Formats: sequence, structure tokens, C-alpha cells
Amino acid sequence: MKAWVLKGGATLLTLAATAASAMYVTAHLKNPSAPLQPTVVSSAQLNSLTITSSVQQSDVMPVTSTYAS
Amino acid sequence: MPRNPALESHHFEALGTSCSVFGFGISPERLIEGEAWVRRLGARLTRFSPASELSKINDAGGRWVAVSADTEEVLRLSLRAFEMSGGLVNVAVLPSMLAIGYTRTLSDGASPAILGRARPLPALPSVLSVRRGGARLEPGCGIDLGGIAKGWMADRLRERLGINALANLGGDLSAGGPGPSGGGWPVGMAGTTVMLRDQGAATSSVRRRRWAALHHLISPSTGLPAATGLEEVSVVAHTGFDAEVIAKTALLVGPDVAHAFCATHALAWWLSSTRDSAAA
Repeated sequence: MKAWVLKGGATLLTLAATAASAMYVTAHLKNPSAPLQPTVVSSAQLNSLTITSSVQQSDVMPVTSTYAS
Repeated sequence: MPRNPALESHHFEALGTSCSVFGFGISPERLIEGEAWVRRLGARLTRFSPASELSKINDAGGRWVAVSADTEEVLRLSLRAFEMSGGLVNVAVLPSMLAIGYTRTLSDGASPAILGRARPLPALPSVLSVRRGGARLEPGCGIDLGGIAKGWMADRLRERLGINALANLGGDLSAGGPGPSGGGWPVGMAGTTVMLRDQGAATSSVRRRRWAALHHLISPSTGLPAATGLEEVSVVAHTGFDAEVIAKTALLVGPDVAHAFCATHALAWWLSSTRDSAAA
């Protein structure tokens, strides 16, 4: 097989892999608005409840609670 | 004719604290079986009974001791908790507990403290070895599983109860399934209600289990009760075990780092400082 065929094939494969990777990561962003680092510590964050989007707040009467024992 | 599913609950005292189990579409008998399971497992894991598996490990003088699969699992998770917390959550805390006078259940009262006997805690992986069906602890060391066992037991109990159940073992919670109304299990936390679905919650505090100027949350670096500026931390995480480890770690790292730690590891959190309690 001629050398230029191998070189051309390798180049095409590299370009195709790069393009496919770029398309994949663009289409699979887990959370585009996620912070890259924890929020800055502030004394105002003491004695206050911080809730992420994984937990829902409600005004339903609780059946039980977490407490120190 | 089948009955419509109903919310069932069962409350009992075990593990030295108040426990509750809830189930939707689960028979009351199954909840009572859950209590029996907690009592059986608690009897294996308590340090207050010389017949427990844990006491046999503590008293073995460095020899290998045969343990049940449950005890093996909770010991392996204790090693994981040590890693997760960077060494702050360390179950090799028994010598410190004895030094501060926590020699028996606090309902029987604390013993006189001999604080001079407290020593920095050893690195757990260097003193605890676990293999299939067996465990070994270095001589002179001792384990108190404390909240680690409760968080883990809450997760296992919830799994045993069924797909739509909640277990609360002294504030260590594990909630599974959609709850009574489909939006999760409503749980009180820091004065509000959060809906937990396949999640856990825990509170770590120095406001309870307190006597004189002492409490049961030990600083690994000194072997004495920690004073970090935080007095209470409540956390929601993916499991009850995770919540317990995260809450205890946050309390031990103190207010300057706790928020960032929780932001990295928890799903919801509440930090209460010493100043807050003084103002309250």
C-alpha cells in the first residue's frame, strides 16, 4: 500500500475523531450552568438552609425530621 | 377486596435513641419486623455490651475475630468514612470516649473524666484490618461506631422495608420511593420541610449528648471534644450514611470550610454556629 494512502487515511481518521468528539461533548453537557467551584464562604451562610436543585422544599407537614440524638 | 394503600408508621426506642419507620402500602407487621431487625443488629454493634461483636473486636488484644457479614460491611464503611472525611470521621475513638467519661449509656450518667488519658486518634486504616468474615484491631485501640452505624442501618432498613419507605434512627434518615403523595417523603430540617426521594439526611451536633463542658464529638488531632465554632450541622445527601459522614465532617472542619465542603458533597445543608446558639 502506498505511503500517501496511509497518511491520508490517518489524517482523515484524526479529523473525523476530533469532529465526532466535539459534537458528542457539545450534545452531552450535563449542566451548562453548574459552578466550576464551591461558592465563596460567607458568615451569612451560617444558620441558613442551603438547598440544591436535587432537593425540593415544600409546605407539607413533615412526617418526621432529622435531629441531633 | 384489597385495601387502598395507607401511610403506616411505627415508633420505638432503640440504639439509645428514638426511632421511627414509615411505609406507604406496607403492612404494619413489616414495620414491626423492622424494629426487630434494628434491635438484633444494634446488639451486635454496640460497645456497651460485652457480648456484642464490636466488643469482641475491641477486647481481642490484636487477634482476628470472626464477624457477621453485617458487621464486616459497617467496618468497611467506617474505613470509607475515614477516607471520605480526610481522617476526621474516625471510629477508633473509644479510648477518647472513655477518657471523657462516656463509659456507659448517658441515660446512666457519665463517669468522671480523666482528660489526661486522651490521645490523638490513630489513623483508622493503620489499626483496623477487615477481611471476609473477620476483623482485627491493634492492641490498645477501640472502636465506637456511633452515628456511622445508625446512618448505615437506616439505609439498610429502608431497603428491607420496601420501595416506598422511610427509616429514621435517631435523626439519621433514609427515604426511598415517592412517599405518601408522590413528591417524596416530607422531612423536617432546620425549620422547613424538604421532600426526600431516594435520599438520606443526618444531623451532627454537640448540643446533645453533652455533660459538664464535654460532649461526644471528638477532634482526631487532640482526642478531646472538638470546639470548631459550629455546634450543629444538618445535611441531605444521596444516602443516610453519606449524610452522616458529611454532617460530622462539616462540623469538625468548622465554619470557615464547612460550607465549601457541603457545597461539594451535600444536596442540602444547614450550619449552626456557636454564636447562633448564644444568641438564641
